[in-house]
Amino acid sequence: MISVTNLTKKFDDKIVLQDISFEAKKGEIVGFLGLNGAGKTTTMRLMLGYLFPTSGMIEINGLSPEKNRLELLSKMGYLPENNPLYPEMKVTEYLDFIASLKHENNRESIMESVGLNDVQNTKIEELSRGYKQRVGLAAALCGNPEILILDEPTSGLDPIEQEKIRSLIKKISSKKTIIFSTHILSEIEEIADKLVIIHRGTVVFDGEKPKKKGAVETLFKRHVKE
Amino acid sequence: MNMITLFKKELRYYLNNPIGYIVLILFATTINFLYMKDVFIIGSVSVQSFFSLIPWIFLVFIPALVMRSLAEEKRLNTIEILFTLPVSKLQIMIAKFLTSFVLVCIGLLLTASVPVTFIFLLHLSVPEILTGYMGCLLVACVFISISLFFSSLTKSQVVSFLFSLVTLFIFLGISSELLSSVLPKVAQDILIYFSPIYHFQNFIKGIIDLRSLYYFISITVLFLFLTLIRLRKRD
Repeated sequence: MISVTNLTKKFDDKIVLQDISFEAKKGEIVGFLGLNGAGKTTTMRLMLGYLFPTSGMIEINGLSPEKNRLELLSKMGYLPENNPLYPEMKVTEYLDFIASLKHENNRESIMESVGLNDVQNTKIEELSRGYKQRVGLAAALCGNPEILILDEPTSGLDPIEQEKIRSLIKKISSKKTIIFSTHILSEIEEIADKLVIIHRGTVVFDGEKPKKKGAVETLFKRHVKE
Repeated sequence: MNMITLFKKELRYYLNNPIGYIVLILFATTINFLYMKDVFIIGSVSVQSFFSLIPWIFLVFIPALVMRSLAEEKRLNTIEILFTLPVSKLQIMIAKFLTSFVLVCIGLLLTASVPVTFIFLLHLSVPEILTGYMGCLLVACVFISISLFFSSLTKSQVVSFLFSLVTLFIFLGISSELLSSVLPKVAQDILIYFSPIYHFQNFIKGIIDLRSLYYFISITVLFLFLTLIRLRKRD
């Protein structure tokens, strides 16, 4: 369970997030929606303790990312935006490194589940964007995390790759809390249970995802006006 | 345990990469060449002149070795990966420091042929040579911690290298005769105390001076502490 209460983040004098609040329950996929620069990535980084809030509170399974950072990070998986990886490492080397830090003994089955077996001895710099994204996702899944934070996991992928990633996220979602950010409205429509729309650093919508086809787009356009 | 995993990953980068070997071989070759050149030109052999060369070679070698440690993580944004794994920033910093230290040890080991020759030909005592090497390692600790600090300030390896090089040069230069001739005596005495060369002299004479040991440890800890503050500043 994730609980964000009155969260504000400033970088120097610039307010990036202002007084945002929302919740995410276990087994829920929360779709994080917003334009570029809305504050989605900053919110995710605050949840991970990568950044600290200016004010407000985050609680993840009753723990604070500020005070219990290492304990929480061992229960969280994160796929950052643009998926930074070590280009000189082989896929197995990189995943062994992550698995060792997250005490994961089942690296092989994770690789199989994201479809990395064919490229396990390939250097990351030689992989296609789709495969790199799978490596990032496999790293995020190491340690069987209770909380999964995925920042635009399908960006730049072709439609087939996108569908594979979405299926995988749906498959693993039952026992986890997943925060999923994207620009693709149809993606949210397909996999999210709940929707949080952030616009210019504030939450403009927080609620159940509308069931009707095309309703997410209508909702988004209603709340996000440039 | 997590720190060992990080340390292994860092060390593997250098050992799986030609750059690591090139830097190490260049280091050993330069020291051996410069020393042997002096032996043949001047015609005298001394353990002091051999060890005196090492901090000046470190001046280029250590910034070149350490420059990528944190700067490259920042450039590739893999620092975000590291900082969101269950490993503390202190562990990350120590793993980076230890990797560079081990590489310096390997580099120094490659220079061992010269002192071994001293032992057999000149019947020099082994403890004297070991004390010299101990001094070299202490100087290396200071240089690594300073270079690591500059690597934490920037995304550019070149900027990190240049800042480290200039700072270390000033650090070494404050004990030079050129500076001594310009500054008043009181200022000279104070500045010389801060020079690694001044403290290193005791070690190459075979003396382990506790004040010098304290100096090397304090400067190393100071710059590691500054690096840690810098890493935590991202919060």
